[in-house]
Amino acid sequence: MASRRSTRQDAEQGVRFSRTLFIALLVISGALIAFDRPASRSAPFASFRAGFTDVSAPLLDLVAQPLRGIKNIGPYWRRQGELVEENAQLRQQLIEARYWEDLAYRQRDRIEVYEDALDVESAAIEDRIGAWTVADPRGPFVRARLIGRGSDAGIQDGYPVINLYGLVGRVYETGRRSARVLLLTDLNSRVPVMADRSNARAILVGDNSEFPRLDYVGRAPDIQAGDRIVSSGDDGILPRGLPVGEAVATREGGWRVRLYSDQAPVDFVWVWPYERVTPPDQEIEPVTPTQFPPTAVDAGANQDPDEDADEEAGEEVDRAPASGGDGNATEEAL
Amino acid sequence: MRKPTERTSPWLAATGCILSVLVALIVQASPTRLVDGLTIMPTWTLMAIFLWSGVRPQFMPPIAVFAIGLTQDLLTGAPMGVWALSYLVAISVFRFRGEDGMPRDLPPVLLRFGATLLLAHGIAFAAGSFALEQMADLQPLIIEIIASILMFPLPAYLVLRRRRSRGSGFIGG
Repeated sequence: MASRRSTRQDAEQGVRFSRTLFIALLVISGALIAFDRPASRSAPFASFRAGFTDVSAPLLDLVAQPLRGIKNIGPYWRRQGELVEENAQLRQQLIEARYWEDLAYRQRDRIEVYEDALDVESAAIEDRIGAWTVADPRGPFVRARLIGRGSDAGIQDGYPVINLYGLVGRVYETGRRSARVLLLTDLNSRVPVMADRSNARAILVGDNSEFPRLDYVGRAPDIQAGDRIVSSGDDGILPRGLPVGEAVATREGGWRVRLYSDQAPVDFVWVWPYERVTPPDQEIEPVTPTQFPPTAVDAGANQDPDEDADEEAGEEVDRAPASGGDGNATEEAL
Repeated sequence: MRKPTERTSPWLAATGCILSVLVALIVQASPTRLVDGLTIMPTWTLMAIFLWSGVRPQFMPPIAVFAIGLTQDLLTGAPMGVWALSYLVAISVFRFRGEDGMPRDLPPVLLRFGATLLLAHGIAFAAGSFALEQMADLQPLIIEIIASILMFPLPAYLVLRRRRSRGSGFIGG
């Protein structure tokens, strides 16, 4: 803030600012850096950031639109001469694609039958949420994309994000109308993957380079250059089998991955709604009839959303006992 | 009689300042990777802050510099406070002071900006590494510094030309 002073002082010394305010701002900056660490970001900070991106996303989307137009100018003019030949090729491919389309429909029907028989549910392709990239910060601290859809469209933290070619990253900050996607190349990205050919497991670790590293591959990993790397789904956070990239051997004897998603600029993406597989220790106890009256502890601990609704209606709900010998009753009921 | 420096409305200059900073912030966060091959982004925000603090220092008090840095943190997804702190310190150290503010020759302005840039990015690297709990990526910082040094002469030249022709001020100043 400019301090009040005479015009003469102004002319001699230029504009001067309050030193107290300056020091206060330094302290605030330091405090923000200390408390807004990505590894341990508190809920108020996360929601503030999400709110801010919600506000800024429409503006950034406006800027992104002309950029998308510019992006298409070069390829459009470059391809003018090849259009006739390309058109003929595309017609041929279309004929072939009809066969594959029929086959895909038949396979889908078969899979549905199998899924019904096995009582398995997989995320349907139609459930994917399409979104445009509205900001693309490529700074030294984060590799992320801001997309123009948020919780209003059903997006939640942790959902995987894919583009036409493969896995891009996963959602880590969700606002109402925008979400931030942590890319696979970011320093904080860790994704369990496997080689499609051999099922050899590894962790894909982002290190801000274009080719993320494969860690924890073991002493003699069954990985070959060119192996297709897919998500293994081991952590239950990401679904199994999402295409990630291609294994590349490094000079040092390690492995890196050439990402499929890098084949084109990450412009339009799909967010894949995927419910994380709950570890057994975090599972809610199943509701079973019991001959024992519910205790006060049980009432707080073993509750599921359906019970909430029942309780609100004033109905008495039987609950399974928490542990110990009473667990036999649950097993029997199952 | 009014001085030549006061010919134009300060509101117009203030509007120019706000607009230029906003544009710089938005361009900084814009999805440039959408355009094939263009992945280099100079720190337009620091250029805007530096030039405005030189020609119209009253428009760039520490609170404004802090707010701009914080906005950049939020837009780019960086830990909050990193760019706010680095801009605040770098601008306060290398801000043009004295009667005439920013000189009218390009070389000293370029030198001063280079020093500001290096200090700002050095602080950002240290603060960012602290927040991330691991070393931040140095390569994008170096690319940003080089791109900024290469790009800065153009806006600086335009500002100085305007300043020379009007006696003082910036766009609308």
